[in-house]
Formats: sequence, structure tokens, C-alpha cells
Amino acid sequence: MASAIFVAMTLALLLLSEYIFLKPYVVGHIPGGTELGFVLIVAIAALSAVVIPANLFRVVVLGSSRSRMGGGITGSVIGAAAGACSCGPLGLAVISMFGAAGATVTAFLTSYEIPLRIAAVCILALTYVTTHRSLAAECRVGLKKA
Amino acid sequence: MAAVVAISVASVAASYAPLGEPDSSDTVASPGSASEARYPDRVYGVIDAGNGSPMLGDPSAPVTIIEFGDYQCHFCALWYHDTSPRVKDDLVSSGKTNLVFVDFAFLGRDSPKAAQASYCADDQGMYWEYHGVLYESQQDRIDGGWASPANLRAFAVDLELDIDAFNECMSSQKYADRVAYNTRVATENGVEATPTFFVVGPDGGHVMIQGAHPYSTFARAVDSASTMAG
Repeated sequence: MASAIFVAMTLALLLLSEYIFLKPYVVGHIPGGTELGFVLIVAIAALSAVVIPANLFRVVVLGSSRSRMGGGITGSVIGAAAGACSCGPLGLAVISMFGAAGATVTAFLTSYEIPLRIAAVCILALTYVTTHRSLAAECRVGLKKA
Repeated sequence: MAAVVAISVASVAASYAPLGEPDSSDTVASPGSASEARYPDRVYGVIDAGNGSPMLGDPSAPVTIIEFGDYQCHFCALWYHDTSPRVKDDLVSSGKTNLVFVDFAFLGRDSPKAAQASYCADDQGMYWEYHGVLYESQQDRIDGGWASPANLRAFAVDLELDIDAFNECMSSQKYADRVAYNTRVATENGVEATPTFFVVGPDGGHVMIQGAHPYSTFARAVDSASTMAG
């Protein structure tokens, strides 16, 4: 599951951020000055791939509360939304649909793409740490019970 | 190797689409009559680039690249910095292709103003210089003020344009209809993002490229537009 999330998120975000193109030819490149954006995308995908399955495990298998699930989802959504609107088809659709409000939202997501992605990495990293601690504690309790 | 070549040829064949003959019912209203277009002969199938930029390169080049862009678009600036120098050096300067820029000014309220300013600079023969200054000066925040009227004037001053003529051109909104028309041409032709390019061959067939692709895409598209024509 972690591998599937990592591959799907990486591909989707690299496509949206124009590091990979499928048409008219399959091609990938990292333009000069966009290396940080590329690294942040890979980091968001990697952290999401760890945090989301770990929290699902907590909730489904250990029956823990869903409270920490929110951090993983929020971080992933922020990471995906940042820059996704920009000048791409999604941006045009949002502006066409929501007019001035859509333009404001896309402008915000585009203008603050890197800070938003850094925020997403921070949220996911924090969620990872708390989830790791929680899992360690819950599994210890589980072992004692056993 | 053969399989790779076969896939590559199939990919090119699939992406090369005929534009067909111009059809008046498919085109949108020009600012004034069609004969008022700045360059009335620049109609490629149904793509009317007659109100776009001056042509960069040899007008008799067999292939034309039409770029639809917005001066506030980050990917357009990225393409300008990362890919366009090589496209201009290797494809335009060699006579393989020429290049026309057509505005798709949709990202913010400063986008149409910046596009109008480029045509006011064109009145003084400085379109491409002004175009370059806009992309060199682009900042992260859309409508953040970098393309404000005051800054557009400042760019004109930097290029030593006749500032009175430039101010008159801007305040009279001389090119507002031209920019609005170009934006309609973009949407009428299915442009959904900036930058979007149409690489048009001698027979009017084209390869559509959406996004800030690297040089290799343009080299292949120009080759396919040249070789598969006729």
C-alpha cells in the first residue's frame, strides 16, 4: 500500500508540476531553479506513503482513535494542492467555475507553492513522529496484554 | 531499438493533427473586421494569430510555433528562461521555424495590462525586447504589483521608449480589444493552460504541446511537422 501511494502521488504531482509530460511525447526534465520543488514533491509523496498506511493500521487494526489521521490527510492535500492550480488546466477550470474567487485561490496556491509544500512536509513529518510514538506505545501495551 | 523507433513514429503520427481549412464559423470576431488584424495572413487552419506578436525568425520558414501565454504565468516564465533560448538559437535562427506569441491573458487583472503594454512597445518596434523584460521581471505573486501600471511604465523607461506615446497608448486602452480577442482565440482553439504551443507544418497540420516542455520536445515536433507534411 505504501508503495502504491508513493508511486501514485509522485507521478501525479510530477505531472501536475510539469516535471513529467506524457503528450505529445513522454519526457521528463527538471528545469534549472526548480530542484527544490522536485525534492519537496518526492518528500511529500514519501511521507504520505508512510503516514497514511501507518494511521490506517492504527485505526483499522489497533482500533485507535482517528484523531491523528487528520494530519496525514491535511499534509497530503496541502502538498498536492500547492502549485497544482497554477497555469495548468486545473487553474483555468477553477477560474472559469468560480470567477474572481477562483482566481484568488489559484493565485494564492501558485504564489505560495514552495512555502505551502514546506508546510505540508512539516505537517507530515510531525504526524509521522506522533504516529510513530503512538504506535510504539500501543504495540507495547498490546504485547503486555498478550 | 526497432520497437522504440516504431513507438516513436506511432506517437508522432498520432500527435500530428490536420487543422483543416479556415472556416469563418469556427473563428471568433476580430477586433474590427478581419482585414483590421495586424497580420491578416497569419491564419493557420482555424488558429488566427493575426493579432499576435510580430514574427520572430524567417517568415518563410516551413514551420511556425504559435505560443499562447500569459505574462504572469510561472510556467511561461520557466519556458522563457529554460527552453526558449535554445529554441531560438537552434530552430528559429537556423530557419527551420518561426515563432509567434499570442496572449492568453487569464491569470489575473494585471495580465491583460501587461499584454497591452507589449503591443504599445511594439508601436515603437520594441515588442520582443519588452516581452523579454516582462518575463525577466516576473515575480512569484500573481497580481502582486510587479506588472502594475507604474512598473509597466518603468519597463518602458528602461527600454528608452517614447514614454509619452507609451502612456497615451496605455491610457487609451488602444490594444484592449486585441488582447481580449487573442484570449478568445486561445479558448476557441481548446487552449486549457499556459504555455500551450501549436507547432504548425507547411500543410497546416499541427502538433499541440501543453506545458513548459524541454527543448527535445520542440526539436521532435518541428521535425515531425516538417517531414510529415504533404
